Amino acid sequence: MQNPLALIAEVTHRCPLHCVYCSNPLELIARTEELATGDWLRVFNEAAALGVLHLHLTGGEPITRPDIAELIAGARESRLYTNLITSGIGLNRERLAQLVGAGLDHIQLSFQDSEEGHANWIAGTRAHAHKLELAEWIREHRIAFTANLVVHRQNIDHLDQMIAGLEALQPDRMEIAHAQYYGWALKNRSALLPTRTQLDRAITVVKAAEERMRGRVRIDMVVPDYHARFPKACMGGWGRQLLLIDPSGDVLPCHAATVIPGMTFDSVLEHSLDWIWQNSGAFQKFRGEDWMPEPCRSCDRRKEDFGGCRCQAFLLAGDASLTDPVCELSPLHHLIEDAVREDTAGPRGESSQAPFHVLQEKMADFWSYRTDPK
Amino acid sequence: MHFSPIATMRAGATVAELTEASIPKLAAGCRWGGTTENPVVLFPEGAIRVEGTGRVILELCDGKLALAEIMQRLEAQFMLAPKDKIRADVRMFLERLHDKRIVDF
Repeated sequence: MQNPLALIAEVTHRCPLHCVYCSNPLELIARTEELATGDWLRVFNEAAALGVLHLHLTGGEPITRPDIAELIAGARESRLYTNLITSGIGLNRERLAQLVGAGLDHIQLSFQDSEEGHANWIAGTRAHAHKLELAEWIREHRIAFTANLVVHRQNIDHLDQMIAGLEALQPDRMEIAHAQYYGWALKNRSALLPTRTQLDRAITVVKAAEERMRGRVRIDMVVPDYHARFPKACMGGWGRQLLLIDPSGDVLPCHAATVIPGMTFDSVLEHSLDWIWQNSGAFQKFRGEDWMPEPCRSCDRRKEDFGGCRCQAFLLAGDASLTDPVCELSPLHHLIEDAVREDTAGPRGESSQAPFHVLQEKMADFWSYRTDPK
Repeated sequence: MHFSPIATMRAGATVAELTEASIPKLAAGCRWGGTTENPVVLFPEGAIRVEGTGRVILELCDGKLALAEIMQRLEAQFMLAPKDKIRADVRMFLERLHDKRIVDF
């Protein structure tokens, strides 16, 4: 068994944004259950000792934790490369400087759109203007800056404008991430899933942007697997490279694993991270190849995609130990084809240039906004 | 030591302006990590294990030496390798890392 390379720390589920594609589970963890500062610092140290190189501080909105600077300093002291994944809400110029001073290596700021009204409509709150201001402050520091954009049917047609908008912020890196259908995104799938034609056009747009910005901005694209022929190597293989710790301290092999029935997770409050990585039933469940059914078991691609996503197999086919139905070799691949056919015929929103209050009024029931934990 | 920095890296396209006066250094948010025996260069969302010649080159990219000086030092260290090959390989190595936003110059 190899050691994990990255730790995703969901330090809270609280968030001032309500993004309709949020990957958090529908059942959110309350503030009263969140791990204390000292627990996180111990865990970061254990992770580094286990061989973890990267720490991704995320949530919810990690900035809602008053101890976020302390967490960053502790992570840095443990020699972890520290990335903050943030909406920027709650970060002003002084607090940003404090986090950089604590040793932050990389900040990843999310954007919902380049049109302000549309961006706020997707986030369910007025957040866009502040993000633009924060991007300027970030460039005052020598840290890596990624601008992240989630793409879906309601914004994909003006992807070129959105990319130009991000380019103006002078990031080192752009992440053009098509929505992945778990959590809130799955709930809103019929409003988010792009058509094949839209996707093909978007890929052309990103390729042209990559050429244009070569040497200035690195672009990483995450494609929507519903339109792929083969599944993604979800999390780089179950229990193979990554660990995720939820706000209460439960250690998961991926963001969505809580949806799989019968799974039990071990907590950092009861076991060391090393013990959990090696022995936790949740990690052993789909590690390696023993669990694999046909067609994966005899397929050469199993070493590349590891059978795809276990959560997606459960969510779409009702059984987490089946081949991911995204795979065209899966006997249940028609489930994906049906979903694409039905959902892409779903509703289209208003013009992206409409103001926030108009979109809110006219389209109150268009989708389900992510709620906030109690 | 055998001179082959490219062999330690994945393939990638490259076009960038690198002159003799350029001062290559690790880009913002990229730094050394790992252990003394197994050093890696850490960057957003990834790490590369730089071994052998690649490590020698990157260690010279300290933000003080210009490319011309880096070349001179490498030529002195790898006396058996043809100078043209060293120059071409170092350029390709640094340009690839530049495209990945790991090296600035």
